[in-house]
Amino acid sequence: MSQLEPSRMVCHECDLLVDVPLLKAHDKAFCPRCEYLLAANRPNATEKILAFSVTALTFLVLANSFAFISLSASGQEQTVTLIESVNVLFEQHVLLAGIVFATIIGVPASLLAGMGYVSISLRLSKRLPGTHRALRWSLHMLPWSMAEIFLIGILVSFIKIVALARVELGASFWAYVFFTVSLMLVILNIDRRELWRQVNAVSNV
Amino acid sequence: MSEIANGHSLPTGRAARVQGCTMCTAVSHIDAEHCEDCGAHLHGRWANSIEKTWAWLITSVILYIPANTLPIMYTRFLGNETPNTILGGVVTLWHHGSYPIAAIIFIASVFVPIGKIIILSWLCISVQLKSPLARRHKTLLYRVTEVVGRWSMVDVFVVGILAALIQLGNIMTILPGPAALAFAAMVVTTMLAAISFDTRLIWALNAQRNTHDRE
Repeated sequence: MSQLEPSRMVCHECDLLVDVPLLKAHDKAFCPRCEYLLAANRPNATEKILAFSVTALTFLVLANSFAFISLSASGQEQTVTLIESVNVLFEQHVLLAGIVFATIIGVPASLLAGMGYVSISLRLSKRLPGTHRALRWSLHMLPWSMAEIFLIGILVSFIKIVALARVELGASFWAYVFFTVSLMLVILNIDRRELWRQVNAVSNV
Repeated sequence: MSEIANGHSLPTGRAARVQGCTMCTAVSHIDAEHCEDCGAHLHGRWANSIEKTWAWLITSVILYIPANTLPIMYTRFLGNETPNTILGGVVTLWHHGSYPIAAIIFIASVFVPIGKIIILSWLCISVQLKSPLARRHKTLLYRVTEVVGRWSMVDVFVVGILAALIQLGNIMTILPGPAALAFAAMVVTTMLAAISFDTRLIWALNAQRNTHDRE
């Protein structure tokens, strides 16, 4: 599928009725009145979503498998994994730890699992049970996934810590960086209109 | 900049008695309650959008007070415990010469949330006053707040990371303070305020003044 069929849309942001023309590969349709991105033809979006979801989830497992960071100061040395540091936070402040865990691991992971599941349905041309729910869930989760903000948070913290202790980044830190990049690539290839149209076009199992 | 450049007015969904689904973008009749394509509830964002946005905005302003007055973290250094507020931290960083970090924290924790609250309040007021001016700019401002607003969470993550990592026994320990949660809740409520705001209301006046767009 290299072309997207023409369709009538109502602009999400200004309510203008727009006849979106046929979109060739890499074409984007913007609202003529408020310039909202109405639809985009991103070639092989389903395949990319599937591939990057699997990649991102793999990196997330790796990010939890090795040392995330090592600190040493005045002869004391400390190496922690991502989960260990979330655990430390849980002991100090349960709600705060909950918010951090949800936005940096829980939400992105469920979003990726949902998008991966939807794209498997599309690749098989069979609507697996719960595909609709998975797609709806993933799209609802989009604004609450904050892995990229967490990365900036890590960088800011490191600059603060460097003044106090020697910091060494572990393998898991780099895995988390690649996880975030893959997650961004999944999100970039999401087009509501196209995903729903395709999910509704494939038949039930 | 005018969309009416070609001399005829464009119909809106409302004028054509249709609505777009916020979940899947499919077009349904304006009275339909559920989307035929994805089953989502079509509650017509028009209803109560401004009231909901105000409610979330007021909540976030209230949360912003403890977020700034209470300590966001405690630093325990050689037995002495010092509370740190957001602004105090920015000032300390600035005095220590960490200008970029001080700037990042100031922008993420003070400038962005306040800017977001002011912009969304102004958008709500201008919709309530039925002001047809600068609609394109208002829409653009809304998009900027929607994209930038989430980045305020940076400070919450920094506190979380420092508290989780700086556990060097007697030498130095960092603990999260009550302001961290208040601040996180403030970011979440401003995000909910932005999500509740229906940008179509900015443009709704067009339905009444079809041909003369005062951009």
